[in-house]
Amino acid sequence: MSGTLSFSPLLAAGSNAALITFLIYTLAVFGLAAVSNQLLKSKSFLSEYFLGSRSLGVWAFALTFAATSASGGSFTGFPSKIYTHGWTLALWIGSYMVVPICAMGLLGKRLNHVARISGSITVPDVLRDRFHSAKFGALATLLIVFFMTFNLVAQFKAGSYILNTLLKDVEFFQFAALQTESMTSGIPFLAGVDPAYLLCLLFFGVAVIIYTTYGGFHAVVWTDVMQGIVMVIGVMIMLPLALTQVGGLQHATAEMAKMMPPKLGTLSVTIDQPQDVGLNIDAQTWLKTGSGENERLFRVSEFASIPKGKLTATDVKVVEITTPEEIVRINGQLERDPSDQLQIPYEVNNIDVKEYAYGSGKRGGYVTGPGPAPSNVNGFLPLSLAISFFFMWAISGAGQPSSMVRLMAFNSSTTLRRSIFTVAIYYGLIYFPLVVIFCCARLLLPGMDATADAIMPEMAVHLTKNVGMLWLAGLLVAAPFAAVMSTVDSFLLMISSALVRDVYQRNINPEVTEKRIKLMSYVCTAVVGTGAMLGAINPPQFLQDIIVYTGSGLAACFLGPMVFTLYWPRANAHGVIAGMLAGFAAHLSMYVAGFVIKQRFEPYRLFNFDPIIVGLFVSFLAVYVVTLMTPPPPEELVNKYFRRRPNAG
Amino acid sequence: MTSIPQDTAPDGGEYDPVYLNARREAVVIFGVWVVCLLWSVPYCYIAGFPKEGQEFLPETLSTVGGIPSWVFWGILFPWVLATLFTTWFCFFYMVDDDLGEANEGADIQEEIEELHAAEQEGGQ
Repeated sequence: MSGTLSFSPLLAAGSNAALITFLIYTLAVFGLAAVSNQLLKSKSFLSEYFLGSRSLGVWAFALTFAATSASGGSFTGFPSKIYTHGWTLALWIGSYMVVPICAMGLLGKRLNHVARISGSITVPDVLRDRFHSAKFGALATLLIVFFMTFNLVAQFKAGSYILNTLLKDVEFFQFAALQTESMTSGIPFLAGVDPAYLLCLLFFGVAVIIYTTYGGFHAVVWTDVMQGIVMVIGVMIMLPLALTQVGGLQHATAEMAKMMPPKLGTLSVTIDQPQDVGLNIDAQTWLKTGSGENERLFRVSEFASIPKGKLTATDVKVVEITTPEEIVRINGQLERDPSDQLQIPYEVNNIDVKEYAYGSGKRGGYVTGPGPAPSNVNGFLPLSLAISFFFMWAISGAGQPSSMVRLMAFNSSTTLRRSIFTVAIYYGLIYFPLVVIFCCARLLLPGMDATADAIMPEMAVHLTKNVGMLWLAGLLVAAPFAAVMSTVDSFLLMISSALVRDVYQRNINPEVTEKRIKLMSYVCTAVVGTGAMLGAINPPQFLQDIIVYTGSGLAACFLGPMVFTLYWPRANAHGVIAGMLAGFAAHLSMYVAGFVIKQRFEPYRLFNFDPIIVGLFVSFLAVYVVTLMTPPPPEELVNKYFRRRPNAG
Repeated sequence: MTSIPQDTAPDGGEYDPVYLNARREAVVIFGVWVVCLLWSVPYCYIAGFPKEGQEFLPETLSTVGGIPSWVFWGILFPWVLATLFTTWFCFFYMVDDDLGEANEGADIQEEIEELHAAEQEGGQ
């Protein structure tokens, strides 16, 4: 997600609806937290607060799993990628056809079973108990806190940007942002921060921290359920609207087949006469130069202005449309509705636009692989990356600790079976339809390639305005916000549980009283959340890249050791510790090598594969080899976790 | 991997049926993932990626219901099949195992006992 997004005046129209939706949403979340807090009074506190007393039924388990996995990326980054690269995103996301059965079924039943035998509440608990190894538990805790803290800061940032998107055109919000600026201008730490972003961060952060701290795991799960429903309803409303408005999918694909990638860059706009009040050039204004066959068509991607008394705006960011048929079609639209053009005579000069590194000047890029790419000469999705993403979503999805902790919380294997089916249907209703919707967006909202991160809210408002149902936009644009919220609250609770349960209770004071642990859980969740919120005020450089690093890094560290922990009686502590460290080191080394070679935060791709492949391979191999080189585990541990129990049927 | 045990332990004892069922189900799931990978990626690559030097003609694009045919047969069709398989797997294959009661606090209790035992040893 880019730091600065530009939105059309059209988006402003949906903002009041968005504000109302957001307020209703926040109230509902607090209500759920209050109900959840009541449950804390009647059950074992830690098990309830961090694991919902292992009582999740089908809907709660299925939707919390789906919503947490979806994260904000599904509703911001993914639509943006579809818009930018076309139909090839169907292959990019293709392994979601087996994500539910893989991510829930590979480990679910056995992990839940083992956690029940040991009484484990957290993922490090399971690993520690299974091998009776405090070292292994400590290592797992350290890695979870390390990876998730970065990710939490980044998710806070993402949530604040989305909220800013929803509210930036609401008058009351603009007034509040001005007040915030006047209050913070004297504080050095806050002086350089965009006041609107700061306000959103504060609002978003405080809301999430309060309901997560107060309600614990059940509050997180129930809000996930609500958020999961919002997401699927949003997509189901958008799909028929998009197909109808674009004139059918056949037409959309046929038009996309003719498209050539745009050129991105800057130009200058000069007017004949200076204006009394200056001239605003809004984002998404169309500019033309030349005539006949030499006519060139540009769309402004960021707001620019010609000051009062001046004649020229320089460095106006634009997207140039390069497909002749598209230029004819857009010109036809502009003749019918000229409002998106400058209403006074102007000239365009100093044009400096750049071609795409892959696909430039060629038709068909948007309907074939590997898809056009602005900076990668091999295209968006070459074969090796397509294979990597099949690993990434389905296999590494199973290795995420935030998913694992949910697998420990369902109440029976019947719930697991029904939930896998439910999530399979749920993902089928979300991911492929998103590809269709945002392929249609290439025709409905052309020239937004430079601001594709905003395509989701823009499309929501565009579709609903055209059918006179702008109030629906509030619900639709709430979907990405819901997705980020459901990820943030889960990560927050994971870090808090790692500190309270894994560090304090298990390593410092096992005999801590229930009253004290309760207080510590509340305080720790609030402190971790506040720390992440403060970190997001001035987030570190490369933050978005760090999110990718942490997601695949967690899988590289945890998947191999967890698979052997659950399924191999011969596995021992030496082997799984070696596998966890080797996965971490191999994955990290790809990033270090990439940084050394490219001088930026980008991984080195061994044989063109993503680092996750290297990390998983090394981790699995290390567990296996080191285990066989070291003594077998104690017999009592094997008996406890692998042998038929006396009271079992 | 030869070290993965059979249904009976090396000493002739019985493995937990939940473990055995979960392991068997995991092997089937992994197999399905491999099948999907071997179908989708090669099919899409062969049918959907233009060959070196080949010029694309928009009017020659083959579609099914408005979806490029390589996406339809490479992704959407196996997606539907995978969902049908998931349905069969969940309702007709996966075993309803008794996961047992959770031993809440058992791990902490064990640690406390070990702590006291260590203290007593230290005191003697």
